Amino acid sequence: MEVKEKRMRTRILSILAYTGAGLTLVVAICVPFVLFQVFTNVVAHVGLHIDPAYSGGTVARTIDRGGYRIVVYQPVQPRLLERIEPFVQIVFEPADALPARVTDEIDLDGDGRPDVRVSFNLPADPNTPLRGDVTALNATYISLASVGGESFSRMVVRTGNKIVVRVPLNRGTVH
Amino acid sequence: MASRSSALARPPAFRGIGRSILLTLPIALWSLLMFMPSFQHAGRDRHISALLVILFMTTLFFLMMRTGETYRWRRIFFVAMGFLFPFGFIAALVAERGTMSIPISRMVSGDTPFCFMVTPSLLLPAAFARTIIFPGSILPTASNPHSIAAMIGVWFAMTLILGKAWCSYACFFGGIEEGFAAFPKRRRLHRFITRFGAYLRLIPWAILVFVVLASAALFEPVYCMWLCPFKAVTEFPAVRNVTTAVQMGIFVALFVGLVVVLPYLTKKRTQCGFFCPFGAFQSLFNKINLFEIRFDREKCVDCTLCQTSCPTVALSKESIREGKTLLNCMKCGACVDACKKDAAVWHLKGTPVAVKPERARLLFLYGAWALATMMGGSILANSVATMVHWLPWK
Repeated sequence: MEVKEKRMRTRILSILAYTGAGLTLVVAICVPFVLFQVFTNVVAHVGLHIDPAYSGGTVARTIDRGGYRIVVYQPVQPRLLERIEPFVQIVFEPADALPARVTDEIDLDGDGRPDVRVSFNLPADPNTPLRGDVTALNATYISLASVGGESFSRMVVRTGNKIVVRVPLNRGTVH
Repeated sequence: MASRSSALARPPAFRGIGRSILLTLPIALWSLLMFMPSFQHAGRDRHISALLVILFMTTLFFLMMRTGETYRWRRIFFVAMGFLFPFGFIAALVAERGTMSIPISRMVSGDTPFCFMVTPSLLLPAAFARTIIFPGSILPTASNPHSIAAMIGVWFAMTLILGKAWCSYACFFGGIEEGFAAFPKRRRLHRFITRFGAYLRLIPWAILVFVVLASAALFEPVYCMWLCPFKAVTEFPAVRNVTTAVQMGIFVALFVGLVVVLPYLTKKRTQCGFFCPFGAFQSLFNKINLFEIRFDREKCVDCTLCQTSCPTVALSKESIREGKTLLNCMKCGACVDACKKDAAVWHLKGTPVAVKPERARLLFLYGAWALATMMGGSILANSVATMVHWLPWK
């Protein structure tokens, strides 16, 4: 009786194993046609976002300057041990509508008073590295002189048809 | 079906030509299907490369069927992928931006191609803060088709099928060290590896735990930023200060040490076996994977040929005595091919050990080779197309 039971168990397990192996093959065939897209959609729709240290965070408001606009982002605060300074991102777009020399006083916190003065020369060749200056107009922000793409918190760089400026915030003044 | 005896006494053909062709036919059709778009849309370079890759993948599978050997033919594909991937990747980078370094502007615009090696680093921040700590884009964009969602999607789908075999059929880095390990005739440091293998095997787990925790604490992909040897042959953050210069130094030192020198000396995949945290992470999926290598204790004579041949030290004397491999077995088939007593066999979990092992091997190989053709084949085709494009007499 015991031997019979054991044989039956082995048989059932084998059937299950071969069914599983067959399904694995079906899954393998489905990967490029169906599953790849399904998994991609699942990952895309679980509400994940890129770390603001890379993406710049969320948009606070847009300032229209006629031919171009300035997008001001929410200040980005580093997490406990994150190796970046707090910063605020400003994007000038479209870059091809900007004058050859840009000097703009920008209200970052929305209180109606300018907080920083950003100035840079826009090279005709988009591949030429950009350098610019940021002058802090109050103690919340830190001035930058001739900055390019030095760090995630201090930069004036061109990305496609945009100029991305990141201004560091004084840690003591950030709430 | 003829059973395999010793390597020396092995019959010249494990299977007849007709039967081998018949068994290869599904892979030939699959390869054609995978490369159909290359024939429909792209130029002559693409047509030639697709044709070569179809022939290459189909021939290797045919040889697996004909000879009954897995490791030898898989290795040819894997080493080709390992060496051609950086070639195609670097060529594309240089053509696009003139350098292998990735400027900070591309990171902030989300244009960094996603690499599956970073996956373990992302887990805790994604789970607890819904944040991806990688400078890429979640969905594919015109400038970055290798989006995070797409790469994680393909990794997950393939992992379900391959388990840790990802490391010997899909990883586009492992082939570099497998290539260097294939060069020398003699293995050195063998006694050291045998003696300290049990400790060496633990290092990837320690690095995995460190990388996962450090990434969550620092909110940056620690492995990519500090420890990835393959940055030296793909892309790396542009050297702009002391920190990035130190990072670059570490990448080069790890690459030279773990991917070139040690594999050459030991004939082992030292980066994969003794360092790679992604490989350790991938080992966990062996638990849910149906295919494995087992040892028929009635045939085993404890000669340890299998242990010596294992490229990642996934066998110990104790595990062989228990008739099993260790968790980090990547199903490359080296031990099965090395065993002169046919004691090492492919096995489907749930079935009796050493009963119809060739059936288990076939079921595994169809899935693994189909995915290898899909992923590795496209990598090979891209690189071959680049080479064809550069041919001076073309």
